[in-house]
Amino acid sequence: MLKNSSRNPVKAAIGGTVLALTLAGVMGSPTASARTLNITETGSTLLYPLFNLWVPAYTHSHPGVRINTQGTGSGTGISEAVSGVAQIGASDAYMSNMQMKQNPTILNIPLAISAQTVNYNIPGLNGIHLKLSGPVLAGIYDGHIRYWNAPAIAQLNPGVRLPHHLITPIHRTDGSGDTFIFSQYLSFSTPYWNSHAGYGTTISWPAVPGGLGALGNPGMVQASAQTPYSIAYIGVSFTKEVKRAHLGTAMLKNRAGRFLLPTKKTVTAAAAQLVKKTPVDERISLVFAPGAGSYPIINYEYAIVNDHQANGDMAQALRTFLSWAVDTHEGNARRFLRQVRFIALPARISALSRKQIAKIH
Amino acid sequence: MKLRPFRIVLVLVTSLIPLALLAILVFLARYSWPALTFNGWHFLTGHTWNLGNLYADPVVQRGVLAPVGANYGILVFIVGTLLTSAIALIIAVPISLGVAVFLAEGLRSRLRTPLSFVVEMLAAVPSVVYGLWGYAVLTPLVAHTLGPGLRSVLGFIPFFSGAVGSGYGLLAASIVLALMVVPIIAATVRDALAQVPSETKEAAYALGATHFEVVRRAMLPAVRGNIIGACILGLGRALGETMAVLMVSGGALNYFPGNIYSPVTTMASFIVSQLDSAMQDPTGMAVRSLAEIALILFIISVLTNIIARLLTGTSHNASAV
Repeated sequence: MLKNSSRNPVKAAIGGTVLALTLAGVMGSPTASARTLNITETGSTLLYPLFNLWVPAYTHSHPGVRINTQGTGSGTGISEAVSGVAQIGASDAYMSNMQMKQNPTILNIPLAISAQTVNYNIPGLNGIHLKLSGPVLAGIYDGHIRYWNAPAIAQLNPGVRLPHHLITPIHRTDGSGDTFIFSQYLSFSTPYWNSHAGYGTTISWPAVPGGLGALGNPGMVQASAQTPYSIAYIGVSFTKEVKRAHLGTAMLKNRAGRFLLPTKKTVTAAAAQLVKKTPVDERISLVFAPGAGSYPIINYEYAIVNDHQANGDMAQALRTFLSWAVDTHEGNARRFLRQVRFIALPARISALSRKQIAKIH
Repeated sequence: MKLRPFRIVLVLVTSLIPLALLAILVFLARYSWPALTFNGWHFLTGHTWNLGNLYADPVVQRGVLAPVGANYGILVFIVGTLLTSAIALIIAVPISLGVAVFLAEGLRSRLRTPLSFVVEMLAAVPSVVYGLWGYAVLTPLVAHTLGPGLRSVLGFIPFFSGAVGSGYGLLAASIVLALMVVPIIAATVRDALAQVPSETKEAAYALGATHFEVVRRAMLPAVRGNIIGACILGLGRALGETMAVLMVSGGALNYFPGNIYSPVTTMASFIVSQLDSAMQDPTGMAVRSLAEIALILFIISVLTNIIARLLTGTSHNASAV
């Protein structure tokens, strides 16, 4: 984030002056273009690593724009984009109908596709991929299924010697897009969960004695690594950390009844199923998609942007940056996304995103 | 006549403090008013915190607009706050008194000043540093050493038996709080001990008291009021501590701690951890309910202060021998 400030100040000053002169020559309005534009991005901690890859590359090729990034949580991202404190609010969750009614000028623009893994720490079994389903996870998280060798789990995993140990379910204490999509998976697959706990960026977790709360994705990895016989849901951009902590990754049951791991193929397949259903405002859940090869927990990562900006320069800068971000040769290129294990937007979705970006004025 | 402008300035400046206190109270009450009417007494007795369905259209309930299924009960957090603070004080008070007596009486004067300075510096360490240490060092220690050890020694008491868990929880939070409270109490009590008139000490020595007896029978009773005052200061810090507790408490939701190793949540840390999600509530009821928690926390802090003062009688006179 601070990489830019370590640049040689003299060089930067000269660069700025040259740029200002060039721009002044092109646009003929020296006063407006003489200063650097500051874009503030804040929100989702899942998108934060991607922005940290994007910003140095983008500002290198687009001098005259400075982008400040902050990982503060999706809720903060949305509210600061609405209030105008930040120009881009990053969020793993789209805004609700009521929020849209209150803020009709806000756009929900998908930038990439993310996924989530369900991880566990069962000594001796972390090397194999246990099979788990939405109803079983709902049972674990609402306390109906207390032991790892409960019949419901054993039934999904014939031949695996499951230990008779209490399960410690770990959830996020902070408001989180990960909680949003995990609880959607439980809600969409388990009617009982849907009517009792429902989904949201924070939900009223049923009381499971010993159930643990952790802060952010790093906190989830640490709590899970430190607690034998625990289970946690973790954003896919933390796969490296999950591997380093030697946690097991579950195969999850999709709508078609197949158990899958999140790979490029299964995530792309799931996204493909919902491309046609994605509405013009792009607010849709991708969780529990139909299709035999669809991984069940994926989502759009959103930029929340007000379509009415303070001035033309800022609107122009935002349009340029966001178009760059969804471009498959630029921000959506594999060289960026593979590092955080995101998947590029399908062509039809990036076209929809571009249409929304064009509305910023 | 000459002093009048000075006096006016003094009165104005002095009244700023109670005015600020009043302003906070008025703001909290006004801001959380919709939540107060929506939640009623259930807020204090309920133990389920549920923001409701934020993606469905909100409906008018009990005269105010709120999400469907919204239900705010904070008894779990009140219990968590009081328990962590109480256990922290139980750990911290004996240690602090020991430190204070040692600094005041057990040391040569050459070492006294630098060591007292070190203790005071501990009080100046930002709480998040304690939190980070608790997160990285203390929770594994509680999970693998302290917890099992405590259980094998005190396991016959139900509160100390049962699953030790992950290290995050009541015990870890209380230890971190105790560490933050010790320097406050120790520094205050040490200062008070240093103020005990030498006549008092000499009189005790003259009666044939040993050094230990002088401290125990003459000096500590003389500073009883200061000790209580220092404990109240420490308690205030423990009740309101946010970040450090959030990092080690395990964030329990909707259930009470079963033993000393259970995850808990305190009111202050809950406000911080939930603000982000609460802001997603388009009716604003969630944020206002968080403000109501702040109001209750404020009232609890004031009440504990008053009770502590009543318990000690007129604490200011206690230092007079």
